Amino acid sequence: MLRNRKIEMTVHNLYIFDRNGTCLHYSEWNRKKQAGISKEEEYKLMYGMLFSIRSFVSKMSPLDMKDGFLAFQTSRYKLHYYETPTGVKIVMNTDLGVPNCRDVLHQIYSTLYVEYIVKNPLCALGETLQSELFSSRLESFIRALPFFSARAG
Amino acid sequence: MSRQSNRTTESKKMNSELFTLTYGALVTQLCKDYENDEEVNKQLDKMGYNIGVRLIEDFLARSSVGRCHDFRETADVIAKVAFKMYLGITPSVTNWSPAGDEFSLILESNPLVDFVELPDNHSTLVYSNLLCGVLRGALEMVQMAVDVRFAQDTLRGDNVTEIRMKFIKRIEENLPAGDE
Amino acid sequence: MADEALFQFLHNELIQYVYKSAEHGEMENGRCITKLENMGFRVGQGLIERFTRDTARFKDELDVMKFVCKDFWTSVFKKQIDNLRTNHQGIYVLQDNKFRLLTQLSTGKQYLEHAPKYLAFTCGLVRGGLANLGVKSIVTAEVSVMPACKFQVMIQKM
Repeated sequence: MLRNRKIEMTVHNLYIFDRNGTCLHYSEWNRKKQAGISKEEEYKLMYGMLFSIRSFVSKMSPLDMKDGFLAFQTSRYKLHYYETPTGVKIVMNTDLGVPNCRDVLHQIYSTLYVEYIVKNPLCALGETLQSELFSSRLESFIRALPFFSARAG
Repeated sequence: MSRQSNRTTESKKMNSELFTLTYGALVTQLCKDYENDEEVNKQLDKMGYNIGVRLIEDFLARSSVGRCHDFRETADVIAKVAFKMYLGITPSVTNWSPAGDEFSLILESNPLVDFVELPDNHSTLVYSNLLCGVLRGALEMVQMAVDVRFAQDTLRGDNVTEIRMKFIKRIEENLPAGDE
Repeated sequence: MADEALFQFLHNELIQYVYKSAEHGEMENGRCITKLENMGFRVGQGLIERFTRDTARFKDELDVMKFVCKDFWTSVFKKQIDNLRTNHQGIYVLQDNKFRLLTQLSTGKQYLEHAPKYLAFTCGLVRGGLANLGVKSIVTAEVSVMPACKFQVMIQKM
């Protein structure tokens, strides 16, 4: 019964990978269930899955694709994917009610990652992101999203 | 003209010189630190590379440019978007090799060399070599290995400044080696 | 006209280079700061040289300092100095609450120990600029919470 289902909108978690598959950043907000494996393992499997999906969807595409794989959803969550030509990959899992997040992920890249990591010479590229400025800006950015549910968590 | 407005125009000019002068100070320092021009050229290329691998992210964040389909598109983006954005000039793209894997960027003017004159004892110095490194670093980040060098340079008496770019190979992205 | 981001990346590379070619240690750190400061000095001189030859139009030292805080700062860092104070005995303190070369690093204490590297070139820039306007000085910088920063200019009477 569709009208009985409460549509909750929220962000579960976010991963940033570099082009070598290193998980540069991870944060979570309303994630009630964990995968039951170590975080390292989870990053590796997540990246492996993305890598496979990405290469297979482009093989299957009837026409040349520019942007490739954008999102998938299950019965419980939606995975949003954004990749730059330099291979930075941003993954955000949200509730099903959340609309297309391409712009949101692009903004995370251009106004946060580039601004506070790439332009901070003290942040070595390809290493886990240590900048507190970046983390705090990302945190406020996500919390300010219209579909970030404040009551959950 | 009032004193205030006089100063405003000066400010604008001053800003455009900041990069040029800072670059000049760097080259001067390198020439002091290294014994020969070859070493200086190498160091400039290396520093350019370090700038390039970061600058490309700034470029992608600010321009709406996506992945290029071929080397010709890349050449156009470099000349018309990147050079315009960062140095305020638009070099022309010419001298394509028959195989389409090599081209030249012709710079009518080079902002890096404003007010510069090469001293006689630096005949093999490639003053603007930083640019080669920047291009190499930036393209490597978008999976393109290229060879970049100065073919002509107005600083050394040529009529134009020419940067020659050669495509070497596509760098494939691989899944990191797993231990399963 | 070169882009601001390009200058920032070049500035970072300058620091990287100067520090990489040096050994570690307190003495070496001082030498690196001096080297960066000297590079800034040459650039500051050059910037002023081309555009403000006519120093006669500044009525006094304070007028020169105001020019540095407004025009000079705006052209280089896209904003004015937020606060200028002086003891009227040759010491000026220029406070920038959001110094352009620190804004991407931190808003707080993280990386504070690295801050001096990112200020040395600018100290030289100011000293060089002032020198070409006929004001001899020593310029130092101080940071307690980034990205705010204070530059202290001590005028050297000739």
